[in-house]
Amino acid sequence: MNASAAAAVRRAVPNWPGWHRLPREARDTLFLLAVIAWTVLPHASHLPAWAIAMTAIVLVWRGRLALANAALPGRWVIVGVLVVAIGLTYWSYRTLLGKEPGVTLAVALMSLKTLELRARRDALVVFFLGFFLVLTHFLYSQSLFTALAMLVSVWGLLTALVLAHMPVGKPSLRQAGGLAARSALFGAPVMVALFMLFPRIGPLWGTPQDALGRTGLSGTLRLGGVAEVANDDSIAFRVRFEEGLAPLPESLYFRGPVLARFDGIEWRRRNGPLSGAPVTTPGVRTIGLGLSYQMTLEPIRLPLLPLLEFTPNTVGAAPQIDGYTLLLRPDLQWQTDRIVTERVRFAARAWPRYEHIAGLDADERAEALYLPPGFNPRVAAWAAQFRREHDLQDADAMAITAAVLAHIRSAGFSYTLAPGYYGRDGIDEFWLDRRAGFCEHFATAFVVVMRALGVPARVITGYQGADRSPLDGFYVVRQSYAHAWAEVWQPRRGWQRVDPTAAVAPERIARSRNLEPQPGLVAGALRTVSPELMLQLRASWEALNNSWNQWVLNYSRGQQLDLLKSLGVHSPSWEDLAMLTIGALSTLALGGAAWAWWDRHRIDPWVRQMERMRDALRGLGIAAAAHEAPRVLAARVRERYGAQAESLAALLDALEQQRYSRASIVRPDTALTRRFVWHARRLRVLARAAAPG
Amino acid sequence: MNAASPVAPWNVRARVRGWLTSRLPRTDTQLLTQGNVYILPTRAGWMFALTLIVLLVASVNYQLNLGYVLTFLLAGSGIVSMHITHGTLRGLTLHLRPVAPAFAASPAVLDVVMSSPSSARFGVGLRLLDAPASTLAWTNVPAGGQSTAHVSFVPATRGRHDVPTLSAETRFPLGLFRAWTVWRPLAQVLVYPRIEADAPALPAARPAAGGPTQARRSEGGEVEGVRAYRRGDPLKLIAWKKAAQALETGADLVSRDTSTSARQELWLDWTACGSMSAEDRLSRLTAWTLAADRADADYGLLLPGLEIEPGDGDSQRARCLEALGLWH
Repeated sequence: MNASAAAAVRRAVPNWPGWHRLPREARDTLFLLAVIAWTVLPHASHLPAWAIAMTAIVLVWRGRLALANAALPGRWVIVGVLVVAIGLTYWSYRTLLGKEPGVTLAVALMSLKTLELRARRDALVVFFLGFFLVLTHFLYSQSLFTALAMLVSVWGLLTALVLAHMPVGKPSLRQAGGLAARSALFGAPVMVALFMLFPRIGPLWGTPQDALGRTGLSGTLRLGGVAEVANDDSIAFRVRFEEGLAPLPESLYFRGPVLARFDGIEWRRRNGPLSGAPVTTPGVRTIGLGLSYQMTLEPIRLPLLPLLEFTPNTVGAAPQIDGYTLLLRPDLQWQTDRIVTERVRFAARAWPRYEHIAGLDADERAEALYLPPGFNPRVAAWAAQFRREHDLQDADAMAITAAVLAHIRSAGFSYTLAPGYYGRDGIDEFWLDRRAGFCEHFATAFVVVMRALGVPARVITGYQGADRSPLDGFYVVRQSYAHAWAEVWQPRRGWQRVDPTAAVAPERIARSRNLEPQPGLVAGALRTVSPELMLQLRASWEALNNSWNQWVLNYSRGQQLDLLKSLGVHSPSWEDLAMLTIGALSTLALGGAAWAWWDRHRIDPWVRQMERMRDALRGLGIAAAAHEAPRVLAARVRERYGAQAESLAALLDALEQQRYSRASIVRPDTALTRRFVWHARRLRVLARAAAPG
Repeated sequence: MNAASPVAPWNVRARVRGWLTSRLPRTDTQLLTQGNVYILPTRAGWMFALTLIVLLVASVNYQLNLGYVLTFLLAGSGIVSMHITHGTLRGLTLHLRPVAPAFAASPAVLDVVMSSPSSARFGVGLRLLDAPASTLAWTNVPAGGQSTAHVSFVPATRGRHDVPTLSAETRFPLGLFRAWTVWRPLAQVLVYPRIEADAPALPAARPAAGGPTQARRSEGGEVEGVRAYRRGDPLKLIAWKKAAQALETGADLVSRDTSTSARQELWLDWTACGSMSAEDRLSRLTAWTLAADRADADYGLLLPGLEIEPGDGDSQRARCLEALGLWH
């Protein structure tokens, strides 16, 4: 702890005795609290504010109690706070189930449990809850940084666990940390073996609809959500068109989740029918020739396929993947029965020109027109005025769309990947004040405006554009090509695609390459100072990130089977993998047992030396007990054999010196043992020769 | 407390345990090896396993590769911790120091020296096998060194008893496993009778037989002179100043001479205890012995079939207490 930090602590805590003078209990508690704070901290960005505030207050409170060595609050206080936390969770999410309420409750429980930490042993629940909390971070991000931060957390938790089992004295944190790291390091081979061999199986039940969005897509959309992936240049999928036709990049829309439900903050998918036999696509008419293509999809970590619009589910056009059930949703998005966690390859046929002349039932219509009350009031007012000004009372959807797109073109909107943060009424702010954003801002604002003007509209997410690779003729689509656009509905014409981003940044749509994101402050400064260094850093980082993605995040059953193949298994299967896992674990266990067996025969070398020498003396008829010092034995030898045994006695005296004098040595002198045994044998022969005569 | 204490025939568990314990050889120095260190998961260990299963299921269901990494990292650490826990006891040498005699119904202290020939051992606890876990005496054993743990037990009856079966255990480092050993020391402990609480005052002293009738009473207060130290002289009789001078000149310690000629004799008599049970009489005589020793009187002990001549000092006290402890 450096001086300024120490000074800051002294100011904050008047009776701070100094880190090293803290009583052991207080120090251990503070350490555990710090580890918990570090573990909870990355959740700050997606937990409700009250949960963060409550956690901080409870942790600080517990820290002060530890410093003052004061009594902990009673059980009823804790139960009361817990009830309040559950109530607030329900208030925040309208449910207690699901990912986010679950994480919120886990964080609340974790902090409250610290108030019950009386004995060090009580902390076990906290540790196990802590490990669980570490896992919840991976639901949001599996980046290298997250992994490193959580490695620190796990280390901290293990250190606290080790401290709890060192009941004597005041072991230093460094010592406990070293012991914890030792356990983890020795356990690393087990981890690597299990990670590589443990058979990857599909989700055990259901498909978690709220899986994370490391990729550009997720099941939901909120303003600011896509900004992070603008930097992600990793490949989402590759496409090759069979007939050598080169479609224009602007016509390449790969359809992902269709988001029609809007709660003011977040856009979600409609809960459509997901099970049952594939239905014939309702009301879609394809136009012109189809386009056959082959797609190699990297692990997308969502239960869907982002297929080229529009890929129907007719024989010969629909994709087929072994082990997955594919389904075309009524909103024209392709669904899989489980999360796609491996690289998959398939062929399909798409018709870039199509009409989706679907009817709209009452529910769908209500949803496609719904604007949550209390959000974005100014856009609603603006829409009413716009309708009056442009005389749109009786216009159809197409005319209204044209008018709004014209407004976007003329009202000074600009396209940027760094639009800054938009608040609660983000659409108001974007549409009327700042007018700067990227696809998700344009698409969501456009849909809100269209709904306000009485036109059913929805947001479509997916990928748009592609790079043609000069080498192999593949089109490469990167995560940064994630895009959002809109569809509006008009009687008799059905859903029509409208891409409001194209109205302001046609180059984003027409040109394949995405806009490069604006550099941050540090990166910008670095770029002006040393462009080469910047490039090099970026290249190294990308290489590192790429290996991380390849070896850790995208490691799946495909790679496991490849591994088996490289080990010489011809047609590897799930069962082979399981057998190999069991084999590896058994080998490890046997290794451990063998080591323990070997260790059993290891005894103190000094004891072993004395045992050999006593054996030799017994051969000479000299009784030697385990507790007798070499000096005593030497006297006994001299008494029995006199000058004849002087060399033997001298060796015993030398041993006495080696063990107990100031010049004692650490390890036994094996040469001395050998000489002793040799002299003893010689003496025995001499004595035997002398006895008969 | 004894291994021989009767066990109800229906208590199978206790009987099996008693049988297993009785098979152990008795020794005062026990080297812990693979053969006598046992290990099982603790409740926390089972909880940890449950946590691992939850983490694994979550990783499978959400297809989290980092979740797998976390789960397997913790599993690996857990497996390694099992070896460390076992290794904490394996290789230790337990040695029981000679046990000082104790009084029945008051604690007797056992000093156990633990030495480690190799690495340091943390969090090793020692207790009686039959005592609850809260009585564990914790100690760390430094690398290549030794440390001492004290456990106490309360002998119920007087006599010469086997030292109760001991158990050393550890949960270091993660508390997921508990390694333990059961050790039956060879040593016996001499237990004096229970000291009677609120015993009546000492009986009156009689003039020593054959001594001067007009004896001056002296309780070591008046110094009559000095004499050479004799074995058994209480510490407070040593004339320290004179003794220091004497030691410098190479002579022996010097004790005050408290007019032995004027001694009174105090007989602690079995029959003087009134009508009480034998054990209660022994308890009273024990209390009297201690009181007489504190008063620095010359005292003798009269038991049926046993008579100890009057004397004083630590040796007399030990002799009398031993007689009381072993009388039957």
